[in-house]
This record gives sequence, C-alpha cells and structure tokens, in this order.
Amino acid sequence: MKRVLLAAALLALALPAAASAHATLVRSTPAIQERLSGSPAFVRLRFDQSVKVLPNAIRVYTARGRLVSGETLTSPDKRMVDARLGQLPRGAYTVRWSALSADGHVISGIFTFGVRHRAPPATEAFGASGPTTEEHVVRWLYFLALALLTGGLGFRLLVLRSPLGPAAERRFYRVLGIGAVGAIEVGILAFLLRAGDALQLPFGRFLYGDLAPIAGGTRFGIAFVAMTLGFALVSALVFLAWLTDRTWPLWPALALSLAFASGLSLSGHSAADAGSSWVSQLADWAHLAAASLWVGGLVQLAFVVWPLEPELRRRAFLRFSRFATGLIVVILSAGIYLSVLRLPRLDDLWTERYGQVLLVKLALVSLALLWGAAHHFLVRPALERGAPLFARLPRSLAGESAVGMAILLAAAVLVDSKPPAQPVPQPPLAQQR
Amino acid sequence: MEPPAEHVHWLFATGFLLLGLCLLARALVGEEIWSRRPWRAYLWPALLFGLGVLMWPVMVFYTNSTIHMVAHGAWAQTMMLAGAAELGLVRGKLHHTAWRLAMPLALAVSGTALLIHEQNGWLFARAAFLHHALGWTALIGAIFPLVGAFRRRSPVWSSGFALTLVVISVLLYSDRDVAPVFGHLSPFAGEPHR
Repeated sequence: MKRVLLAAALLALALPAAASAHATLVRSTPAIQERLSGSPAFVRLRFDQSVKVLPNAIRVYTARGRLVSGETLTSPDKRMVDARLGQLPRGAYTVRWSALSADGHVISGIFTFGVRHRAPPATEAFGASGPTTEEHVVRWLYFLALALLTGGLGFRLLVLRSPLGPAAERRFYRVLGIGAVGAIEVGILAFLLRAGDALQLPFGRFLYGDLAPIAGGTRFGIAFVAMTLGFALVSALVFLAWLTDRTWPLWPALALSLAFASGLSLSGHSAADAGSSWVSQLADWAHLAAASLWVGGLVQLAFVVWPLEPELRRRAFLRFSRFATGLIVVILSAGIYLSVLRLPRLDDLWTERYGQVLLVKLALVSLALLWGAAHHFLVRPALERGAPLFARLPRSLAGESAVGMAILLAAAVLVDSKPPAQPVPQPPLAQQR
Repeated sequence: MEPPAEHVHWLFATGFLLLGLCLLARALVGEEIWSRRPWRAYLWPALLFGLGVLMWPVMVFYTNSTIHMVAHGAWAQTMMLAGAAELGLVRGKLHHTAWRLAMPLALAVSGTALLIHEQNGWLFARAAFLHHALGWTALIGAIFPLVGAFRRRSPVWSSGFALTLVVISVLLYSDRDVAPVFGHLSPFAGEPHR
C-alpha cells in the first residue's frame, strides 16, 4: 500500500500539470486603457492557458451602461475569446469579462478603452460606484498609521534626539511598529476595497478577480504597489534600528516614509483633476507630510515622553512647540492654496458637498489652531521662565492629538469626495467668430 | 518585465533550502557549538526575515487574482514576523518564551493560506497536489518548532524542523510544470498550456 501511495505521489509530480494555477489574461485587443482612433470590430482576450467560454463572457458597456457587445465567440486557439462589436461612436467603454479556467475557477476582470476619447481608469469604469463609507474609514486609518510612523520618526530624529529610557524606548518602537504595520495592512485593505468596487463581483468570484489592470493601470494601483514596497522597507529599517539599538536606520526610514507618502498626492485630486500640476502635487504632499509629522509628534509627546520620561518633558515640549510652528505654517499655506485651486467660487463652500466637508475640516483646524496657540503663547513662555509644569498639560496634549486625528478623518472624507468641476475657459470672442 | 513565476518559486525554494541546511547543521552540532561564532546565530533568522521582505514584490506584482495576492501577503508577513522574533531572541531584546511560538505560528498560518488558496482536490493537477502537499507539510511541520520551543536541547525536534524546511524547498522547486525536477516526461502526456 505504501509503495502504491509513493508511486502515485511521484507520478502526480512527474506528469505535466493541466494547470499550474488558474488562467491569467495576458493580452487584450483593444489594450487596457487604449485610446483608439476608430471603432474596433471586436474585443479579443488572450489567456496564458486554455479557458472555457461562458455565456456573455465579454460584455462591453458605454459610459452610460448600454450593452454594445454581441455574442461571445470561441476560437480554435482555446486561449482566445472574442466578442463582436458594432460601430461604436466616440466615447469611453468598459469591458467586463469572465471565463472558466482549466482549474474550474471562474476568473473575472475589467478594463476600459476609448474611441477617440480618453479611457478612464478601471476604478472609474461603468458600474463602479466610487468611494464608500468603508473606504472613508480605511483611508482615515491609513492617515493615522502614516502619522504614527512618520510623526514618530520625525519626533525622535528632529525634536528629541537624546537617548530615552528603556520603557520609553519600548513604547516609542511599539507606536512606530503599529504605524508601520498599519500602513501596510490598511493599504492592502484600501486597495482590495477599491478593486472590489471596480469589479462589482460577489465575494466568491472576487477571490479570482484579475486585479492587474487596477494595480498596474490606475494611479491608485501604482501608488498601492509603490507604497506597499516602500513601507515594507521602512518596517525593516525600523526593526533594524530597534534590534541594533542604533538610530541611523531611522533616518532612511523617515526619508522613505516621507517620500512614499507622496503616493497619495500623486494618485489623488492634486494629480488627476483639472488644474492639477506639479505645484499642486507638491503642495498636497507638503500638506500631508506636515500634518503627519504634527499629529504623530503630538502622540509621541503625550503618550511616550510625558508618562515615561519626566526629566525630558520640559525640553520635549519646548522643542516640539517650535517644530510645530513651522509645520502649521506649511499646513496652512498648502491647505489654502489647494482650497483655492479646487474651489474657484466662494459659494462652492456651502453649495457643493466637497465644500461642506472642507468647512467641517476648517472648523476642526481652527479648533486645533486655537489649542496649539494656547500651548504656544501661554504654556511655552511660562515653561521657558522655569515655571512648574501644568498638571493638566498631558490631558491638553492628548486632546490636541485627538482633534488632529479628527482632522485626518475629515481629510479622508475630503480626499474621497469629488471637487466641483472647474469652469471651462471661454475662447476669446474673435476666435468664436 | 516580470520574471516567470517558476523563477520566483525557485528563488524562494533556494532560500528555504539554505534555511533548512543551516538549521540541520545547528541540530547536528548542537546550539552551543553553532553559536560559537556570533554571526552564525543571526544567520537563519536574518535569512527568514529577508525572504519575508522579498515576498512583498511578489505580492504586489503578481496580482492576477485576489486570493493569490492575499496569500502572498500572508506569507510575507509571517516570514518577517518569525524572522524578527527569532532575531529579537538571539539579540536578547526579547525574553518571553511566547516569542518562540512565532515560528510555529508562521508555519501554521502559511500552511493554512496555502490550503485555502488551492481550492482543487489533491489529484486535480500537479500544482494542486503540490499546494496540498506544501500546505500540509507546513501545517504538520509546525509541530516541530512548537515542541522545540519548550524542549530546546532535543535534536529530534530541531532536526524535524530543519527537514520540514528542506521538504518545503523541494516541493517549491517542483511547483511549476516547467520545473527541471519532475518536469515533462512526454509531449503527449497532456496539452501544454504555456
């Protein structure tokens, strides 16, 4: 019996596999997000292995959801699936496909193309409903993780460089670890939520959904790829610093976490919407980086230094107060510039949803500024004069960090909201004639 | 631009083979002799941690299905966690015995992820067979570091753990239909799909 089992096992290893994994789409005609100069006669999908054609395997929709594809055709080459198309007018089109892979799984995917028109990214294809409440929460958690990581690193390297006691050091790395792991995990969750919204598949079929056009064909997906790799590297550097008791790996970790935070700016409104430029992307990145440094620094001050390092409280508070002043200047200047850019009319503030969310964010920012001003103009001079530390100061710092986190929630909703359309510049009268 | 999947499998198979051989050498000579040169104590945990870091590019670039992406992410995280815990223990930064459970936990989670991501039966195809074999090897092999965490000097458990990794590496080498180990025997054996 043993010999039979052994022989069966070896035979199974020796025989070529009918499928090493499920089929993968390797090429499509039209290509993913291709802009065509004329109407294509058909849509063709080429897989890396044989597939069985399902009824309505390829469905092509207009931007308004009208089905324009004909019957799906089998091909002598079982790796290819075609669907005929009629004459397509100018516009953007969404292709939703599915096929039965040789391993028995139904694989599915989505891509877009344009006929004399820009093809939208897969995340804006027909059927995708846009950011949901879950995505707002996940984006907020992402901002929080970024703040804990980047702000913690900034605080340790730019504000308080003196050695910490063992307990404070442990808590510092614990907070940093939560930030680093959170940035990776929440990033994956955010990507899967966005992909799920684009693919519009039930859970069982979503497991075999092709994510490649979203990971490689959208700004959001490319940012996800870069940021996941970047934050994995940052996690490794933070771990190395903890393991070796050296702070030098924290410098590249800070530089990388600030650099990879730009992924959000390069994939958001500041990069994709009308009127965006490298200046708007830079302003968005500066806004986010300064906010992360500020909120994360406050967390370190309130929850690491204050309870565990009584000797360093005064010095840490005074240094952070100076550091935060610079950060607030950056946050405000970049924020005002971006608000003016995205809301060209003042009444957009109360008539548009984007403006209303911005008003809530501005109210929270005003509260945080008042709180910070009280610390800066009342507490700081007293501490500089050598006055005893205020008993309620730790609670006040925790309160300010809580407001900072609430601002990040408003920012998360704002980032997922669509700014009002920019007014189209009218050509000069002479040209109109 | 992406390397073929089999090359990636062979890269990780080589990593697991080196890991297994290091651990086997340690089990044979004993921990005291193995740790006479301080760098040797860091060798296998650092290799495991590095393999975890290297798994992230696999996760983000091979996105042909959600389940594969999530499974690769699980392997990246468990390898980094287990490697980090062992490095922390070797360095003296971690002391609690519970950290020794990171390795069996990583094997168990990895094995479960392998079994979940392969939804066909054992004999459906060679890849399915290997995925089941890999999953159960990791799952059952987790017993060795689990018992070894409490019986540190027993060569049986440490050798068992090392051999588990060697078996995983052999299975990984065989995990593609173009693998040189157990490759195509006959062009008539089935329809090539690549």
